[in-house]
Amino acid sequence: MAGHIKAAGLIAALLVIILPSLTLAQDVNFGVSPAEVRISDLPPGNATEFELTIHNKDEIAHNFTITTFPPPEEERREGRAQFPSDSWISFSCPRIEIAGTSQANATVTVTIPQEQKWAGRDWEIWLGVTPESTDLLAVKLYVRLLVSTSGTRFNAGLVTGIAVAIVLLGYGSYHYFRRKTKPE
Amino acid sequence: MKIAVTSIAIAIILALAVSLPALAQQNSTITITMTGLNEISISLDKTQWPLGTVASNTEYETIPQIEWCTLTVQGTCNVNTFIVGDDAKWISDPNTYKWTLSNDGTNGEHIYGLRFRISGDTARGYVPITKTQSEFWPYSGGSSLAPGDHKQFGLRLLTPTYFYSGRQMQTQITISAVAA
Repeated sequence: MAGHIKAAGLIAALLVIILPSLTLAQDVNFGVSPAEVRISDLPPGNATEFELTIHNKDEIAHNFTITTFPPPEEERREGRAQFPSDSWISFSCPRIEIAGTSQANATVTVTIPQEQKWAGRDWEIWLGVTPESTDLLAVKLYVRLLVSTSGTRFNAGLVTGIAVAIVLLGYGSYHYFRRKTKPE
Repeated sequence: MKIAVTSIAIAIILALAVSLPALAQQNSTITITMTGLNEISISLDKTQWPLGTVASNTEYETIPQIEWCTLTVQGTCNVNTFIVGDDAKWISDPNTYKWTLSNDGTNGEHIYGLRFRISGDTARGYVPITKTQSEFWPYSGGSSLAPGDHKQFGLRLLTPTYFYSGRQMQTQITISAVAA
């Protein structure tokens, strides 16, 4: 008898309730546009922004969250490197409530630091939109964000130009004053 | 005198020639292209799998096995799809107890396995779901999903060989999509 009780206790100990909810599943039907955003010629030290539209196709309201995701190399567009820092991307509302059968916009701001080492680069990062849910299955939609910064020629050219001007002006002035002070 | 004036003129011309293109770049236009204003969208016809009480070291499958849930591609663009799992956490206190999701579909003490199988995907059969995002529908051969496509799939859960009893556990599997 004690053995049976022990066995029953052991079986009970190995039981657990997983995913107990009997609530009917509520599939969240939504979409995001645009599916891909390409920003070109963004100079270091500048910022730009664009809008993402989230379409809630359900009849009830849902909360959506927007996050960034660094895609692995094999998932990125050809020639694109990993975006250096997700802190350069901000959202006007990382969590947004959208009423049933309606849509809302979220402004995405991309800011590139001033440093010249970020010039002339091509990066990719994904923006993930997902409805808040505790269901077993969830859907996340990614928007590809392709960012290209403008080239390095700006500062290098300016500095070179100024240096050449100073050297030639100095050389010209030297000859001018030398001739001027030279006795006839 | 003539040489000096010529030198200064050349200096100014050279300085302008080198600097102007650089200065012009300062005012270059930032271009933002939103590809065709495409909308990306996928949907699932089921999001819950109420298993109830489970035993240790036991395999559970959705019914029907591989046609349990249907993924539908909506929107206007072709998509590549991914799947990622997570640890199963104790609902009452997620920080103190969890089942770790294995990286190969197998189990262990407090370690559980998850697999999925897509109807028609005879090449791969059941594929482990891990905590690293991986292909859902195998698009690497160039077969991304187009708007209107449907894919049916099922899940298989392998419970840990040992776990603490009487605790409600919860996990989440995320299926995601990106423009192909």
